[in-house]
Amino acid sequence: MIEAEVQPKGAVTPPAKSSRAERSGGGWRSHLGSLAFLAPGAVWLLAITIYPLVATVRNSLYDASATNFVGLDNYKAIFTTATILTTFRNNVIWVVVFPFLVTFVGLVYAVLSERIRWSTAFKTIIFVPIVFSATASALIWRSIFDLDPHVGVVNAAIQTASDWFNPPGLYPIDTSTGQTVAHLASSGVAIGTGGNLQSTTSVSAGDTVELGLIGISPTTLSTLGAQSAIEPSSSQKDITGLVWRDFSPANPSVRGVVQPDEVGLPSLQLSLLAADGSTAGTATTDAHGDFRFSNVGSGTFRVEIAPHNFQAGFTGTFWLGTQSLTPTSGLNRTEQALFNVPLVDLAMIVAYLWIWAGFAMVVIGAGLAALDRDVLEAARIDGAGEWATFRRITMPMLSPVLIVVLVTMLINVLKIFDIIINMAPGSSQEEAQTLAVVMYNSGFTGLGNWGLASAIAVILFILVVPAMVSNLSRIRG
Amino acid sequence: MSAVQAAAQPVAARRRSRFRIRPAKWLLNIVVILVAAFWLMPTIGLAIISLRPESLFQQSGWWTVLSAPSQLTLQNYQTLFSQGLISGGLLDSLLTSAEITVPSTLLVTIISSLTAYSIAFGRWRGRTLCFFIIIGLMVVPVQVALIPVVQLYRAFGSLTGFNPFGTVLGVIIFHVAFGLPFGIFLMNNFYGGLPRELLEAARIDGAGEWRLFSRIVLPLGLPAAASLAIFQFIWVWNDLLVALVFLGASKHFPLTIFLFDQIRTLAANYWIISTGGMVSILVPLIVFFSFQRYFVRGVLAGAVK
Amino acid sequence: MASVTFDHVVKRYTADITVVKDFNVEIKDKEFMVLVGPSGCGKSTALRMLAGLEEITEGEIRIGDRVINDIAAKDRDIAMVFQSYALYPHMSVFDNMAFPLQMQGMKKPDIEKRVRNASQILGLENFLERKPRALSGGQRQRVALGRAIVRSPKVFLLDEPLSNLDAKLRGQTRIQLQKLHRDLQTTFIYVTHDQVEAMTMGDRIAIMNGGILQQVGTPGEIYDHPANLFVASFIGSPTMNFVPATVQDGTAKASGFEVKLPKPVGAAKGTLGFRPEAVTDRVSDGGPSMEMNVDVVERLGSDQFLYGQVGGDQVTARVDPRLSVHSGDKVRLGLETHALHFFDSESELALL
Repeated sequence: MIEAEVQPKGAVTPPAKSSRAERSGGGWRSHLGSLAFLAPGAVWLLAITIYPLVATVRNSLYDASATNFVGLDNYKAIFTTATILTTFRNNVIWVVVFPFLVTFVGLVYAVLSERIRWSTAFKTIIFVPIVFSATASALIWRSIFDLDPHVGVVNAAIQTASDWFNPPGLYPIDTSTGQTVAHLASSGVAIGTGGNLQSTTSVSAGDTVELGLIGISPTTLSTLGAQSAIEPSSSQKDITGLVWRDFSPANPSVRGVVQPDEVGLPSLQLSLLAADGSTAGTATTDAHGDFRFSNVGSGTFRVEIAPHNFQAGFTGTFWLGTQSLTPTSGLNRTEQALFNVPLVDLAMIVAYLWIWAGFAMVVIGAGLAALDRDVLEAARIDGAGEWATFRRITMPMLSPVLIVVLVTMLINVLKIFDIIINMAPGSSQEEAQTLAVVMYNSGFTGLGNWGLASAIAVILFILVVPAMVSNLSRIRG
Repeated sequence: MSAVQAAAQPVAARRRSRFRIRPAKWLLNIVVILVAAFWLMPTIGLAIISLRPESLFQQSGWWTVLSAPSQLTLQNYQTLFSQGLISGGLLDSLLTSAEITVPSTLLVTIISSLTAYSIAFGRWRGRTLCFFIIIGLMVVPVQVALIPVVQLYRAFGSLTGFNPFGTVLGVIIFHVAFGLPFGIFLMNNFYGGLPRELLEAARIDGAGEWRLFSRIVLPLGLPAAASLAIFQFIWVWNDLLVALVFLGASKHFPLTIFLFDQIRTLAANYWIISTGGMVSILVPLIVFFSFQRYFVRGVLAGAVK
Repeated sequence: MASVTFDHVVKRYTADITVVKDFNVEIKDKEFMVLVGPSGCGKSTALRMLAGLEEITEGEIRIGDRVINDIAAKDRDIAMVFQSYALYPHMSVFDNMAFPLQMQGMKKPDIEKRVRNASQILGLENFLERKPRALSGGQRQRVALGRAIVRSPKVFLLDEPLSNLDAKLRGQTRIQLQKLHRDLQTTFIYVTHDQVEAMTMGDRIAIMNGGILQQVGTPGEIYDHPANLFVASFIGSPTMNFVPATVQDGTAKASGFEVKLPKPVGAAKGTLGFRPEAVTDRVSDGGPSMEMNVDVVERLGSDQFLYGQVGGDQVTARVDPRLSVHSGDKVRLGLETHALHFFDSESELALL
């Protein structure tokens, strides 16, 4: 099971230097035996790892086809291309955010799972995604973050909550295209003093009024059962009217006149505003768009279309898009390249966290289980409460394990490729790309610029070196 | 209370109440259940999507299946599997994945054991240096070797007529190379824990290097080798980049490329994507649950990949 | 008042596993009380219940007049020295000793004073900046003691503190601990499995076996008047001689000798007990004696022990070191009657 199977840290010891006696004993024959065992691995590594490392450095100083020497041109190109700055920025975002986030989450889960009885099941559930490919995870989370609330779980959940608190009107405007309520006015109606759509003329008892709107979606109309618009007939003491869709497919250029093929707007909520601004009555349009305010009394009124009719519902956030989380709208291109934090990065970090939190949890959990129980009891007797014990005793004793997790994830994230290339849609690729992605694209797609790709590979390697050094010193000491 | 009184009144059992800054147990359990549900949801969602007909995908979310379980159908799987082994199809990709992963795993396990044996028990100078080189190699990114290996393959091709580029063999060779450092590290650690006297006794009994390895060290090292094998298997099965570079333009490619192609070019084809995704994750899932203990051990050892 | 009272204390894990059964003992203020017994006898569990590290299943534990069953460990005003020392590995010696005071919210200058004071008492002044891993076993133990001393607690609990030290250091530390107890004038409760430690260090000893308290008393009382066979066999080295015997007319008859009992015991048979020092080479006229076939002779310079058969029983005798005896010899030994014990064969209680 996933319960702690800790490799005792002491097991990681470098082979003891063989003594003089050991070395000379057995003669060169036993040396031959040993070396024969070494040969396959050594040859393999030399040919496919060590030699290529050198070759890549060489290639980075050559041109796209790796035949002509160009010196540091490739590196210069890297550091001056605007798109490359975005790449670095993304790598920085990943490196700064992800290792700490995943270690924190792993720590929380490890501590939580210690305190419940069904911890094995819990740990297994959290751990399992590690066996999925980043590609599989990308496709799973891509669907979860889908824009359409009918498809994407996240947007569906937000829509449910949003509809509950802010129910959309029957005629929601489409904010994604920048439509506002003002755009809906076609004839007889305009934005009035209260900021809402009102009849342009004042009316009194016995008058009729016709309000024409455009920009209404035909789907909405058919859902609401809209019928063809019928001109209103006047009625003494009442104010009657029509709200209709002022768009005729047959004569699209004609406005302000009710055409036979135009439809009324049903179920629209209206109010009657008196001259002093107070509400004198309310009405709702029928299937033909007609309405009536009964017994309005004396005075002049305006008909107002209630704004909540047009309340936009939640139509989905484009989680996989390049909208920046940081306020960078005023900056120039280069600055934006450096300071944008595209939304898709957030989505990808969540997807990647789903895969790796289990790893952090298991490693930290093993570390927690290996802590000397006596020391924790001593702290209890010494008067440390639960939080003080955790902060001053448990965490410091756990820090070597935490660092292992941090460094491992750091190395992992520097080379991040699969999740970016699969999860960010084509339109977001440029904003979301990382060094590994650019290396692949420049080296292996299109014409293939091997010089540039090699230079990027060299940079990647240089970035891993500190982690390499830290590992080596940890195992030595 | 005098001792007599104390003896006369047996004190009732008392429960120690500990008033610590700790939330109630039930609250904790709820939080944990929520987290577990959230973690399971993506996989379950994918499974359900793959079990729904294509037409429903845009209309309603997979969560609606709870109210209409009759939607579920195996037709997606049937369609894709009935295509048979056409190149670029689901079955063909599944097979190619296996063709790449199984040999790679076997080779890495065997060669790592051999090499680690030499480093752990050999008596030659420079063992420690080699060990540290291996540690260093563990973190080297594959990007560093991709282009030169392509060049190498090409050169090999012009020399012998066989260019491994674009073949499964070419991918296997690459994967083995990058699996070796961790494999050697893992096996070396394990071998180092074996008692030296065991080998010395065998040497006195007359065993040569090969017998020592095959009859004593290798059998004893099976648990570690199993951990390594499983870990390698899952790593190679899930790889995308190396496969893309070497098999990206080939007729037969592994599941990861199959999925990648589908997502990139036909993102709306979620019935294919989800079905392929499920097939792709089922194999590692089975391997994981069958050999859970060994896998976790492999993850805990070194934790550097 | 820092007396400690265990009042019908029981520790039960499951229905069939009861580790401490009806434990009753009153430890006086400033006393050095040793809880001793073989592994698994429940002594550590009793200590841990007092410390607050284990729940008390039944019964009450009181410090002074205060019932502490429901009080958290940190509020009981006790300090504990663990067998493994349990030092905080990432803190310096100074910080290790300062930690409990920080938890109490003491001000820095006061903490500084107390820690320096304690480190002077224990000779740790030169190690204050070091981390535990840079200290020897004995030094670590002193730090553990220091961490307990700085708190000026009502009760000191020590859980087998000498068992991780080598023999020579153990002897030195035993003396230091006794001096410390005298200087601090605080109640010490000390758990060990070593009866020599118990006899030399304790004002009083409480012997436990199988979760049950066997006897409480001063070392002298326990040695001279063991309450049952277990106590008699546990205390004293070499072990007391036990010889099955029948009683007739006030005389105990063993297989190889007989002796007149000083008092009637009210049983027809049982076990006769006498320490090796009661069997000597001085045979008094008319006094009880026995003949031993000597198997092994142990010469320790100041003592000589003979191990052999008397009748059908194994007996150990302590004889004059100048006596020349060899394996295989037959010697006549005298038995002193003022230190005779007789144990009932069923209950193993001392009848004499």
